[in-house]
Amino acid sequence: MQETLAFTVPLSWYLILAAILFTIGAIGVFTRRNALLVLMSVEIMLNAVNLTFLAFARTRGDSIGHVVTFFVIAVAAAEAAVGLALVMGVFRHTRTVNVDSLRAMRR
Amino acid sequence: MIEIYEPYIPVLLIAMIVVVLAGVILLANGLLGPKRPTRLKGIPYESGVDPVDSPRHRFSVKFYMTAILFLVFDLEVVFLYPWAVNYNGFLADPGFAATAFGSMAAFLVILALGLFYEYKRGAMSWD
Amino acid sequence: MFEQVMFWLFGAGAVVTAGMVVAPPFNRNPVHAALALIASFFCMAGLYMLLLAHLLAVLQILVYAGAIMVLFLFVIMLLNLGDHELGKQSSSVGQMIGLVAMAFVTSKLVVTLATSADSLPHGADPAAPEALVRDGFGTVATVGDAMFRHYLVPFELTAILLLIAVIGAVVLAKRNL
Repeated sequence: MQETLAFTVPLSWYLILAAILFTIGAIGVFTRRNALLVLMSVEIMLNAVNLTFLAFARTRGDSIGHVVTFFVIAVAAAEAAVGLALVMGVFRHTRTVNVDSLRAMRR
Repeated sequence: MIEIYEPYIPVLLIAMIVVVLAGVILLANGLLGPKRPTRLKGIPYESGVDPVDSPRHRFSVKFYMTAILFLVFDLEVVFLYPWAVNYNGFLADPGFAATAFGSMAAFLVILALGLFYEYKRGAMSWD
Repeated sequence: MFEQVMFWLFGAGAVVTAGMVVAPPFNRNPVHAALALIASFFCMAGLYMLLLAHLLAVLQILVYAGAIMVLFLFVIMLLNLGDHELGKQSSSVGQMIGLVAMAFVTSKLVVTLATSADSLPHGADPAAPEALVRDGFGTVATVGDAMFRHYLVPFELTAILLLIAVIGAVVLAKRNL
C-alpha cells in the first residue's frame, strides 16, 4: 500500500459518461411530445453538465466546480417550478400537454 | 484506494441490503403467494360501499402552491447550511464578518419577499 | 479497483434509468418516467460521491430527488393525464433526423474525449487523492468558504432568481384548473 495513491477512473471516463447522459437528455427533448417528459429530459441534461463540472473540479483539485454545480441545482429548481407552472397554464387553455399541438402564438 | 471512500461503506451496505431485501420480498411474494383473483376481490374496498367515482380525480392546484413553497425554502436551507458551518471562520476574519452576515440577511429577506407575495395573493389560503 | 467497479455500477445505472425516462415503452405513464428519473438522480449522487463531491452528492438527493421530483409528481397528479390528453407520440422524419444527428455528434464527442481528454494540462497531472482528502475537498466547509468568499454576487442573484421563480409560478398557476 506504500505506492502512491491515484484515482483509477480517469477524467475522460466521466466526461464520456456525461456526454452520453447529455445525449439521452437531448434526444428526449427533441423527440418526446409530452411536455412533462421534455422537462424531465432537461433535468437529465443539467445533471450531465453537473457531472462534467465535478469531474473537472476533482482533476483540478479546487472548489469552483462545486460552487457552480450548487448554483446549477438552484437554477434547475427555479426552471422546474416555472416550467411546470407553464405546463399547467398550457393545459388549462388547450387541455393537452403535447408540445406539437402548441403552434399558435396567441389563442 | 478504498480508504478515501471509507465513510461511504456503511451507506453502500445499507443500500445493498435495501435493494436485496426488497427484491427478495417482492420475488418471494410473487412466486410463493397464492393468487386467486375474482371480480369482487379486484374492486377497490371502500368500507363495503360500491365505488361511486373514478379514483382519477384531478388534484387541486393548491398542492402545487405548497410544493413551490417547499422547494424555495428547501433551497434556502441548502444555502444556509454551508454558511452556518463556515460562520465562525467568517467571524474570525474582521474584514469579512459584516459582509458574510449582510449577504445572508439579504438572501433571506429576498426569499421572504416571495413568501410575502404568495401570502398576499392568497395562494396559501386553503379555501 | 473499488472506484472502477462503483463507476461502472453507478454509470450503467444512470444511463439505463435515464434511458427509461426517454425511451417509449417505459414512459407511457409519466409516473414511471418520474420514478426512473429519481433512480437516475440517485446513481448520479453515487458518482458525485466517487468524485469526492460530498456536499453536492447530498444536495443532489435533497434537492433533485427530494424537492424537484416532488414538484414533478404533484403536477403529474394535478393534470392526471389520460391517453386522450397525451395525444399520439408521432414519430416524424424530423425526429429521426434529430436522433441520428445527436447520436453522430455524441459518437464524435466520445471519440475525441477518449483520445485527448486525459492529456489536457490538468488531466495529465491529476490532483493526488490524499491531498484532496486532507484539504477537506468537497466538504461543506470548503465549498461554503469558496462560495461566500468568492461568489457572493451569484449567490445574491440566486435569491433574486428564486424570488422571480416563485412569483412567476404563482402568477401562472394561481387561476384554478
